Amino acid sequence: MSALPDDAALFERFPGVGLDHDNKGLYRGFLERELRLNRCGACGHWQHPSLPMCPRCWSTDVVATPVSGRGEIYLLTVMHQGPPTPGVDYHSGYAVGSVELVEQRGLRYTSAIRSDGIRPAIGMPVELEWIERSGAPFPVFAARP
Amino acid sequence: MMATVRNPARDAVAFVGVGTTPYLRDAGGKSATALACDAARTAIEDAGVDLADIDGICGSSVPTVSVQAALGLPAVTWWSNSSLPFSLLVIEAMNAVFSGACTTVLVYHSSLRGAGGSKTAAADPFRVHNASDAHGHNAAMTAESPSGTYGYCAWAQRYLDTYGVGRDALGLVAINGRANAARNPHALFREPLSMEQYLGARMIREPLCVLDMDPPVDAGDAFVLTTAERARDLGHRPVLLHAATSGRTDRPFADQLEDYTISGKEIVAWRLWEKSDVALSDVDVFFPYDGFSIMALSWVEAVGYCQPGEAGPFLAKHWSAGENRVLIDGRVPINTHGGSLSEGATQGAGHFREAVTQLRGDAGERQVPGAATALVTPGGFLWNATGFVLRGG
Repeated sequence: MSALPDDAALFERFPGVGLDHDNKGLYRGFLERELRLNRCGACGHWQHPSLPMCPRCWSTDVVATPVSGRGEIYLLTVMHQGPPTPGVDYHSGYAVGSVELVEQRGLRYTSAIRSDGIRPAIGMPVELEWIERSGAPFPVFAARP
Repeated sequence: MMATVRNPARDAVAFVGVGTTPYLRDAGGKSATALACDAARTAIEDAGVDLADIDGICGSSVPTVSVQAALGLPAVTWWSNSSLPFSLLVIEAMNAVFSGACTTVLVYHSSLRGAGGSKTAAADPFRVHNASDAHGHNAAMTAESPSGTYGYCAWAQRYLDTYGVGRDALGLVAINGRANAARNPHALFREPLSMEQYLGARMIREPLCVLDMDPPVDAGDAFVLTTAERARDLGHRPVLLHAATSGRTDRPFADQLEDYTISGKEIVAWRLWEKSDVALSDVDVFFPYDGFSIMALSWVEAVGYCQPGEAGPFLAKHWSAGENRVLIDGRVPINTHGGSLSEGATQGAGHFREAVTQLRGDAGERQVPGAATALVTPGGFLWNATGFVLRGG
């Protein structure tokens, strides 16, 4: 495991990403292959995308905290065209879904759904996996039907 | 829900001028600014107001300084560049006129097809280097970005799963639009469309195919709004903003919306009918936004024609086989211009143009007999839901 980069180096690792003080913890987590979403230090409420205040208790003690990466597919689309993306081939269909994580009802993270030949479906359980993209780890989900 | 609903602006501001450009795949070397100015000129001429009378200007991505300077509007007291859809500009302009920030306002939207739209577009350096952000795309986006496009496609899949509905429900939106577009010379696509053609069309992001997504165009639209009082002295039948609202929940991100039935569209519907003196049964022509076909189904449900998940069967039940389009209760057509799916993607500007044209009685062979009240619901159900009741003055 390499040493964590400082803020300037983080920008170099994730060119084009709109990094700020609210989401830097998420991306720093990528480098350690941990999916870290913002969680309120006061009341424990999770929130995504990364914002600086807890909507439940207004605490600003919001900390990027690892999630298990387990959950169910809540939203799903199979893309046959889309933005040019390193390593993504739309030719045979590229599944992207929003996974409702076990940590909290309504807490969702969106990424690719890998399913090894089976057709992914809404409600299907998934686990987190990491792939490499542009020289940095990138979180995706693997279907576990 | 909580707040007391007020509507002091009821019928106080009117559309008095309408202008547009051709809707084209390639406007042949025109900039987005040129398209905005072309549309603005026709709107101002249509309104019959002097340039010196226009003291407000409101636009989408083309800066108001550019359009004001190009048109030579000598003195404005209010201006704004606002986010899309076009309805949000209309609300801003209405508020500016109602408050007295200005009296007569030019409102415009124009866009150029992005470089990603086709091979020819990708070969045009002006599109590559001046990508207008009309569709929310940007260079940092990847396949996995939870953009608006992702959201509508993915929620469409969940909608079909949840309610046990087939893609033919979405297809009715596209087919209805095409039947109406046959009578709209302005529309990009006017050939009839069958369900078989729809179901066989190229898939883009399942379950939405190329016919579920409005085609990008090079185009501009513009309107002139002023006070209802001043509108009565101008040439056209005024079209009054009777009620207008936006709606958004605290979970507006594409992948975080709490539920399909807990969204901006429910807030819009509740607020709009609270603000309005007229009811759904008074509506003569309905303009649900159809940038993605799923949005139109969602609006049919939200405004109260039927329950969530029932829009497909509702459209089928109110389908006129003879005209191959929807006529609710045999009377109320939907998107008489073809919607943006057939006319072209202009963020709801086309829906307003057609609503105003219908309420003026100027729609020619598309005219809805005696149209006095139009319901217009631009935007979708994530972060930009809006709704309007317009009435002929």
